[in-house]
Amino acid sequence: MMKITKGKIIAAAVICALLAASYIMGGGYAVKDGPPAEAAGAQTAAREKTDAVPAETDEVSVETRKVPGETEAVPGEAEAVPGEAGGEKAERGSSEQGGGRLSAEEKLALAESMGEGSSEGVEKGSKDYSRLQGMELDPGTGKDIYLTDPVPEGRPVPVEPEDAAISDRQLTCTLSVRCDTILNNMDALDPEKTELVPADGAIFATAKVTFYEGESVFNVLLREMKKNKIHMEFVNTPIYNSAYIEGINNLYEFDCGELSGWMFKVNGWFPNYGCSRYQLKEGDVVEWVYTCDLGRDVDGYYATGGE
Amino acid sequence: MMRDSFSSFHPIVNFIYFTCVILFTMIFMHPLCLGLSLCCAFIYSVYLNGRKAVKFNFVFLLPMLLIMALVNPAFNHEGATILAYLKNGNPLTLESILYGVAAAAMIVAIVAWFSCYNAVMTSDKFIYLFGRIIPALSLILSMVLRFVPRFKEQIRSISAAQRCVGRDVSNGGVLQRARHGVTILSIMVTWALENAIETADSMKSRGYGLPGRTAFFVFRFDSRDKKALAFLLGAGAYIIAGTFAEGLYFRYFPSIKGTFTPYTWSIVLVYLALSLMPVAINTWYDYKWRFLMEGERSFEEGT
Repeated sequence: MMKITKGKIIAAAVICALLAASYIMGGGYAVKDGPPAEAAGAQTAAREKTDAVPAETDEVSVETRKVPGETEAVPGEAEAVPGEAGGEKAERGSSEQGGGRLSAEEKLALAESMGEGSSEGVEKGSKDYSRLQGMELDPGTGKDIYLTDPVPEGRPVPVEPEDAAISDRQLTCTLSVRCDTILNNMDALDPEKTELVPADGAIFATAKVTFYEGESVFNVLLREMKKNKIHMEFVNTPIYNSAYIEGINNLYEFDCGELSGWMFKVNGWFPNYGCSRYQLKEGDVVEWVYTCDLGRDVDGYYATGGE
Repeated sequence: MMRDSFSSFHPIVNFIYFTCVILFTMIFMHPLCLGLSLCCAFIYSVYLNGRKAVKFNFVFLLPMLLIMALVNPAFNHEGATILAYLKNGNPLTLESILYGVAAAAMIVAIVAWFSCYNAVMTSDKFIYLFGRIIPALSLILSMVLRFVPRFKEQIRSISAAQRCVGRDVSNGGVLQRARHGVTILSIMVTWALENAIETADSMKSRGYGLPGRTAFFVFRFDSRDKKALAFLLGAGAYIIAGTFAEGLYFRYFPSIKGTFTPYTWSIVLVYLALSLMPVAINTWYDYKWRFLMEGERSFEEGT
């Protein structure tokens, strides 16, 4: 009944070509040349800030340590860049080298291969330790009912927000919200949002904040953002029994490339569960950081579900 | 009821007009464009459909606009101006409210434009335009668009017939009503299947699909169509060029920012002229008609 004519074949070919083109050219993530220049860029940027935020110095040394191991191919570049003056120069260099665009799949593979062994902020989970701490793991999958892997030794196990007993006792912790990684990826950022990125990357500068015993990282973030009139949007995800932070200061997930979003770490560790399930203790250091590369650029790749 | 002279133009003029107007409404988020499009769609729909359109616009479209404008800030919390906090902790922002209003205005304007489209672009015009390029698709489209009103009509007549024998959905208790409803539906489906076969047979016997067939109506493309088309294309090109030159730039997030330069106003003015073209044409032809009638009358009186 249906005749195959020339026009139909041409139409089909055009549709296929369009789909292929959108697959290849799509995506807003500007590809960088690889870890050396980027690490160096982050390092120079961090070095400029060393006087302001002493906590970051360890991170820098960590990154420097890991650079030679990963990048045997281009060690010359990695050494050349830090010698130069500003972080801006390194940044420009990186965007020049990474002219091409990759498909989303290739980017994921790239992030995975680069994230290997580089996640200093993430440690391997320990089943026995987690069980001992009261985490109920499913013997079949090795995860708890909210799909959380065992936590590493010495780290607290998740506390469900509905079980948390919040008392009147006031405690203090350190909170900061930063988006330094965007400064290195300005070309990938939604152009309407450039004005929102602070020059020093600090949306909420490191400060001691009060909270009540039993509260979670999410409770503290929500209260402090409200108090300081900083915009923050979250959505509750029942499958992980936690809030998911979509955007802070109108900087949303996916605003700086398709691998970007907000992550949090406590005492230098990226928990492998949601912020509503992390119960804070006196003196904890909570850092909210924006990643442009699925956690790789903030040393938290495995926390985003790699492997 | 006023006469719609714009409908008597060549179908290509009608079609390009509606494509332009609907596409521009969908693309431009500038509040001036949206407000203007909404007003023009309202005016033209009332001109075309009279009191029915007024009723439809106020009873159906206005509440829809309000509901959609209210629903958006419940789900969208983006924006720099925080007005208050919702119960769950997410912020209520000015930008999300205004964006909700804009999006609602857009949808309502599109619905109103389509009600005009349906009155002007009858299916014979559509098939006249696309019958040669995409014969199967244009036939299917015109049949599908006819489907719903036709079924509605048929179900009404079945229901009326059933009411005569006391078996309508308005007769009897709850269970009986449901039973009657199912019966009506079954009659409806039987009719639809039978009708499909009849239509196919009828079309075949009248030689559907044979080469060399012509359209039932003959549309002439004369000088007034030429002028109208030239105006449409010129105005459309100016507006499109204006958007590429960022003349209609407007953003809602993270904070509201947009251009209101003289250039923007010039684009908006052209947009207004484009949107009001049918109303202007109708008014002009009405005036001309009345003028001629009066001239004739005074001529008769004079002699």
